[in-house]
Amino acid sequence: MNRLDTDILILGSGGAGLFAALHAKAGAPDASVTVAVKGLLGKSGCTRMVQGGYNVALGPGDSVERHFRDTVEGGAWLNDQELAWKLVETAPKRVRELENDLGCFFDRGPDGGLHRKAFAGQTFDRTVHKGDLTGIEIIGRLAERVWSSGIRRLEDHRAAALLPDASGEALAAVLFIDMRTGAFVLARARAVLLATGGGPTLYRYHTPSGDKSCDGMALALRAGLTLRDMEMVQFHPTGLLAGPGTRMTGTVLEEGLRGSGGWLLTGAGERFMERTDPRAERATRDVISRAMIEEIRAGRGTPNGGLYLKMSHLGPAAVRARFKGMVERCADCGFDLAGGLVEVIPTAHYLMGGVVFAPDGSTALPGLFVAGEDSGGVHGGNRLGGNGVADSTVFGGLAGDRMAAWLRDAPGFRDPDPARLDEARARALAPLRRPGPARLADLRERLSSLMWDKVGVLRDGPGLAAAVAGLAELAGELAETGAGSGDPAFNLAWHEWLNLENLILAGRAIAASALARENSRGAHWRGDFPGAGDLAASRTTEVSVQEGAMRVALRPVAFTRLRPEPEPEGGR
Amino acid sequence: MIVTVVIRRGGERGRAERVEFRVPVSGDPTVLDLVSTIQRDHAPDLGYRFSCRVGMCGSCAMLVQGRPRWTCRTRVSLVVRRGRIDLAPLPRLPVVKDLAVDMAPFFETWTSAGGVFRPRDRSAQEFARVTPGDPRRREADAAIECIGCAVCTSACAMAAADPGYAGPAALNRVWTLVNDERDADGAARLAEAAGPGGAFSCRSHGACARHCPKGLDPRRSAAGLRRAAALAALRGRL
Repeated sequence: MNRLDTDILILGSGGAGLFAALHAKAGAPDASVTVAVKGLLGKSGCTRMVQGGYNVALGPGDSVERHFRDTVEGGAWLNDQELAWKLVETAPKRVRELENDLGCFFDRGPDGGLHRKAFAGQTFDRTVHKGDLTGIEIIGRLAERVWSSGIRRLEDHRAAALLPDASGEALAAVLFIDMRTGAFVLARARAVLLATGGGPTLYRYHTPSGDKSCDGMALALRAGLTLRDMEMVQFHPTGLLAGPGTRMTGTVLEEGLRGSGGWLLTGAGERFMERTDPRAERATRDVISRAMIEEIRAGRGTPNGGLYLKMSHLGPAAVRARFKGMVERCADCGFDLAGGLVEVIPTAHYLMGGVVFAPDGSTALPGLFVAGEDSGGVHGGNRLGGNGVADSTVFGGLAGDRMAAWLRDAPGFRDPDPARLDEARARALAPLRRPGPARLADLRERLSSLMWDKVGVLRDGPGLAAAVAGLAELAGELAETGAGSGDPAFNLAWHEWLNLENLILAGRAIAASALARENSRGAHWRGDFPGAGDLAASRTTEVSVQEGAMRVALRPVAFTRLRPEPEPEGGR
Repeated sequence: MIVTVVIRRGGERGRAERVEFRVPVSGDPTVLDLVSTIQRDHAPDLGYRFSCRVGMCGSCAMLVQGRPRWTCRTRVSLVVRRGRIDLAPLPRLPVVKDLAVDMAPFFETWTSAGGVFRPRDRSAQEFARVTPGDPRRREADAAIECIGCAVCTSACAMAAADPGYAGPAALNRVWTLVNDERDADGAARLAEAAGPGGAFSCRSHGACARHCPKGLDPRRSAAGLRRAAALAALRGRL
């Protein structure tokens, strides 16, 4: 086992991780800062996949207060309002930093000022962007700066466990697997940031990078931390349905296609959204996703079990000109978006839930900080498009600032509890001592079907209870399955096993939280409890692992800045 | 259809060998799907990379029939010849295992060639006014959507011949910065790009532009750098 010490250790290299690294280095120039990532720096993760843009209150007539209200109403009143406030309050500062310090070259309007576009669910045009590839611009600039800032990089390093010291009261180290050699690396650190991104890849249809597997959330659960709002899984209505044999399936076709007048059709070629919502195809993501699943369940879907997206009535040439990237992407997998029909299905996009944390990134475990999709509470029950990259860059930067300050008072390096270290190594190595990599594909298929069918867009009590039982069964089967006895160096079967272990754990947290929430809020829909419940008495779910079992508690929301207005007599 | 996939296997220090897999294919999957199927069903220890699945991360590139391509956006039907596909890792980068490479040297070159923004005023409160029609902004925009996949540099004969050459991706990035009025380093950047291993090493073969999956034209960016450097030299500013 190799060993290294670094003052600040950052897990993940998306917007949150890279921002944290730069801020930590700026705040503590003499400290050693290390970024560790499961794949390649800046490439593994979802910030770079951001198409839409960055929500920020900059325009005349807009305000931080207004952005805040949109975020809290969008979040179905479940947000931690202090976190949501920190997000909207810091976004204007962060976007200046992105443009003026890091060099992101955002699009301009005709007057030469920053262009801001309209995005769903917001009362003001406040989404700053670079074409429809905003994420590439942000990560490209962040990664360049990190490469040239004396920050240590550990690429192809998987975090296998967060290890406390012998007292159990503070974090001491992170155990890694150096994926290139298969050897363990024990990294002692005085401050650690969890910023691996969530990524609901445990659903049959999903948008995030395939290498994401809820690693940060699983690490946190195993370290005894509490996660909130885990039942809140955002589904995007238009995922590509390209068949079971291709990784293209589930990848997202952008919202603008519906926004500009695209139609959703049944297998028989009929529009159905008009029956559900006066906004038809322009309704919000959650409303459309539910209507789509209802159509499919009623047997009105396409032969492959999806629905059709039709753009050709807008004129194929116009569609080709306006949505070049999407048309090319569809063509690459054999679909004619401009002139034909493309099969689509709702697809799991984002986990609103995550580790409970304070605005400065700190968690209940001293020495551990969290930012980005691994964290929970900023978005409540639903995230607005354009608030995701704002979240990762705002809170990544704040956590970097805090970790740099933390070093001034934090104790020196500590040794991890030897028993916990031994246990973590044994657990990670166990699959290499058992045969059976051929079964991993079947386990992943069953996990993704179970989550999709029972913990997906439409949920109910019996289905969720079946999912809780089914997930426990899958966890048991995985524990009896191995990855074979191959060379541990860059052994993808081994890492698939470890991915599945994390995904099943995250799935158990999602299912348990969904069973506990007996109302329909934000992205969470219960057929047996279709009402939103009393907004003024809103409660959030908090889940943790206690003696191997998921324990869920309900905690009242503190309306520290904004209260929901009482419903008028007779309802809406 | 059965496709015979021949993969160059081995690590950096280990011996490389060509291994053949016969893979049943239905529909028209991508090359990435094919590689995933082989890893899943035939060779669990096969090494390869992917992340985003949709042409945004640039980690799945490899040599497909000898030519660098993103595998996530390349359909099998486009490249298969007589039922056969040859796969190998990108050239001139350290092989981690089989088809997976270490891309760090590519980004080290990018950085050392001057591909990092240096702010004129890092704490500015105002945003620079740049109209969309501004000629320099248009030059920057034409080149800026690079995702750093290393396909162009892998296809470049000059990069193959001269290890000291910055290569098309890095020069393309430098060209966006030279056209960025917010950047503090214009003259130094241009001097660097005009120096050894810079834009004058480009022979305008255009392989970069032909291979770029994004349709960018790094050859044009290198030509822009040469022109700007010559102009600056004439004016005594280089």
